[in-house]
Amino acid sequence: MNLNKRYFRSIKSNLSFYISAAVLTIMTLFLFFMLNIAGSAIWEFGDDFFETQNVEDADFTTYLPIPEEEIEKLEEEYSVNLETQYYSNIETDGVTVRVFKKTSEINLYSITEGKDVEKNDEIIISEGYAVFNKISIGDLITIGNKAYTVTGFFQRPDYLYMLQNDGDSYKNITTFYLAYVTDEEYENIGGENCLYFVCYNKDNQADFRKVVNEKYYMRTYISAKENMRIDMVKMQAEMFNIISYIILAVMPLIVVVLVSIVINRKVKSEQKLIGTLTALGYKKSKLMLHYAGFAMIPGLFGGVFAILFTMIFAQSFGEVCLADYEPMRIKCHLNPIAAVLGIIVPTAMYILAAMRSVNKLLKKDTVLLLNGNSEQGEKNFKNILVKNKISFRIKYALRSLIGNPSRTFVVFLGVFSGSYIALLGYSFLDTMDNTKQNMIDGVGKYEYQYVLNELVEESEYGGEPVIMSTMENKAGEQFSMIGTTDFNPYLSLKDMDGNDISLMDGYYITSVMAMLQKVQAGDKLTICNPLTLESFEITIAGVLDNDMQNAIFSNKENVARIMGIEENVSNVIMSDVALNIPDSKIMQTIKKADAKEQFQNISNEMNVMIYFLIGIGAIVCVASIYVAVNMLVSENRSNISMLKVLGYRDKQINRIVLSVNHILLPIGFIVSIPLVFASTNWFMVFLADFIGALPKAYIAPLKRKSGIKMDNGLRSCPEAS
Amino acid sequence: MFITLKNATKKYGEDESLVYALDHANLEIEKGEICVILGPSGSGKSTLLNMLGGLDHLDEGEIIVGDRNLSGYKNYMLTDYRKEDVGFVFQFYNLIPDLTVAENIEVVSDIAENPLNIDEVLEAMGMEKYRYRFPKELSGGQQQRVAIARAIIKNPKLLLCDELTGALDTKSSKTVLEFIEKINQLYKTTTVIITHNEAIAKMADRVIYIKDGKAQENRMNPEKISASELEL
Repeated sequence: MNLNKRYFRSIKSNLSFYISAAVLTIMTLFLFFMLNIAGSAIWEFGDDFFETQNVEDADFTTYLPIPEEEIEKLEEEYSVNLETQYYSNIETDGVTVRVFKKTSEINLYSITEGKDVEKNDEIIISEGYAVFNKISIGDLITIGNKAYTVTGFFQRPDYLYMLQNDGDSYKNITTFYLAYVTDEEYENIGGENCLYFVCYNKDNQADFRKVVNEKYYMRTYISAKENMRIDMVKMQAEMFNIISYIILAVMPLIVVVLVSIVINRKVKSEQKLIGTLTALGYKKSKLMLHYAGFAMIPGLFGGVFAILFTMIFAQSFGEVCLADYEPMRIKCHLNPIAAVLGIIVPTAMYILAAMRSVNKLLKKDTVLLLNGNSEQGEKNFKNILVKNKISFRIKYALRSLIGNPSRTFVVFLGVFSGSYIALLGYSFLDTMDNTKQNMIDGVGKYEYQYVLNELVEESEYGGEPVIMSTMENKAGEQFSMIGTTDFNPYLSLKDMDGNDISLMDGYYITSVMAMLQKVQAGDKLTICNPLTLESFEITIAGVLDNDMQNAIFSNKENVARIMGIEENVSNVIMSDVALNIPDSKIMQTIKKADAKEQFQNISNEMNVMIYFLIGIGAIVCVASIYVAVNMLVSENRSNISMLKVLGYRDKQINRIVLSVNHILLPIGFIVSIPLVFASTNWFMVFLADFIGALPKAYIAPLKRKSGIKMDNGLRSCPEAS
Repeated sequence: MFITLKNATKKYGEDESLVYALDHANLEIEKGEICVILGPSGSGKSTLLNMLGGLDHLDEGEIIVGDRNLSGYKNYMLTDYRKEDVGFVFQFYNLIPDLTVAENIEVVSDIAENPLNIDEVLEAMGMEKYRYRFPKELSGGQQQRVAIARAIIKNPKLLLCDELTGALDTKSSKTVLEFIEKINQLYKTTTVIITHNEAIAKMADRVIYIKDGKAQENRMNPEKISASELEL
């Protein structure tokens, strides 16, 4: 039909609208695609890698070594795969290498570059460390007093996230790496440590663990799902997928609503033409199809370009997102179904919006349409302040805002969504920063926790001896149990109202544990010693204000009873200064400074993602405001030209017609704040499951600015001048 | 002379599509006169009004209005000129739909240096009782009276009316013209009415006939009658 010749002309004369609407569509789909692709790729890689390299179901250590022949018996009796992992930690010039003896069944390593060791002076090392420290194949590495030639790099399924110690929460690829040498060379080095990997083939974990504990005395036991080195990969994938679905649920909705409102108003602005065409005999269906064509353009272009950009950037984005992990060979590709939906869904929504508007208009009297009076008889709020003596400028502004709710909503939505996305990014950073600065210190005054190899009756080295152990719930989720006195100078034990509590009253859980275990004061909780698998039912006396530790606190007597030890012994020493305890007596040293550094590192690593979010937020904000301002200008075109005729200067016209929308800038921004808080809190709750701490959502006041100045949007709109 | 056009030329298009809207036009209008400019469609009437009102620039020639030579004016100077000296009345009223009658007039009084009293002007236009109405609640004639009130509130030196009765019925047209005449008498405002309705020329002090962008005829009207006597 000849009418369709208008398409090209319309695009030309409304180019800014089509570009802005397409940009909004692109940004939304792009953000969703990128995160979803990264999430799926990580998940797929994890699944494949874990399967091919036979990742453990759990690992454990025992006080008594399990003889090789006993391992075979246990495997047969309990239908498990059990393997010993020998290893040695060697520190050289401040760098620790964990040299493993090769395993043959579980947690197999995979050479990612180069070749395996053949000679005794050859070594393969973990790839993340090599990349970070720019170590190439053929380079020499010194361990102790011996130099080795690097022949290759590898990855292990139980070290995709490179934690040096079990208790760490952030990777270390700067001063820690893994290595393999030949079996002969390993014997020369002398492996002094061992742990056991187990894969269960039947649902008989408890039986197996009980018998191992009875015979060899479990020292530590950690299942794969509680092992951050393994589980972090899936957590990351899950996090990306969840964020992508939040974006999918929120952003397209916002953009579709925004673009649909604009399309709706554009159709309305053509009511005279629609009236004329109706008068000329055009059928409703033809007109609806004609306007559907207009609406299709931003959806189609947006979808196609979003797919194009995704195909170009997905792989590099996925790799950047995995900077925290050992270099994974993920394959980021767009699912064809998602691509097709990405084009169809927004396009269909825009078409429906246009068809709905035309349909609504065509229900009106043709004469009204011809005169441009389709709104006659409709209720609106333009008649406010009629008899008020205030300036016409204020009245005009208010009527413009209140009398055009959908237009006002578009401006608001643009500012809100842009502020929301950008502020969300800052909120994550501020939350991490606040956690590091304030929350960790709030837990107590201790700076060091020395986990000892042995039980001591009193600390001859100073500090405060406590009893500490890992416990599980029925689902196998682990948490700490700490036995101490009310007079521990390094702990701040207060309830949620800020009152001091007494551990003599029983078992107190921290607030983060209350949240994770969904229990409160007065509730009963069944806990299990993961080493002995002995269960205890405790009654919770109260909740401590402590979001940084997933732990139960009680008096020493209670904890000792559960652990099956004397109440006058301890296995951990807390101190505010470094203590001179011999290395041989220390199993692990937990420093508060390390915890702070780990949060700082998380914050640093999140920067790429955050600035990506902030950038997207800024683009969404500018594009939305651009669309809204264009709409504002085109709808006020006759008023603007009349004001010009009457002698108003451009600045004065801007002030009358456009500046009223400035009020929406702080409103949109302010409204976004509680939602950003809620979203950050929600995200931190999700994170708490993995890190066992609940950082409080925080946005630093007056520290950073967010949102886009509407002035910029207004100034950048050529039609406004 | 209050208004003088010397070789006023305005061209549109280029080469083969070149059109002279004003083709070296010359004319003069005295202060305080009602001048009716007649001419067929496309003769250059509206272009002439645009030039007189400072809405556009001439390509050649001069326009002098009072003590202003508009020919060399930059856009901001024309804006000031329109603000201070010119009142416009258009065929389709061009009122701001979201403002009431009184507020539409306030739009101009707000930036005028010595505006007239809004209440007095509304009363003079017979629109006092409609001051809180919105344009869509008024008839065409009433809207045009509001447009006239808006034009004269600043007490302009020059009142330019472009087909001001073009969208009105006979009765309303007559009423509107009576108001124009009344204003001319009250404030001695030089009034230029552009129309293709020759009957309106009878109320003019001066009649100018434009054709092909040139003033073909510029004559005084010795047989001037009052607007109320017009037969439209």
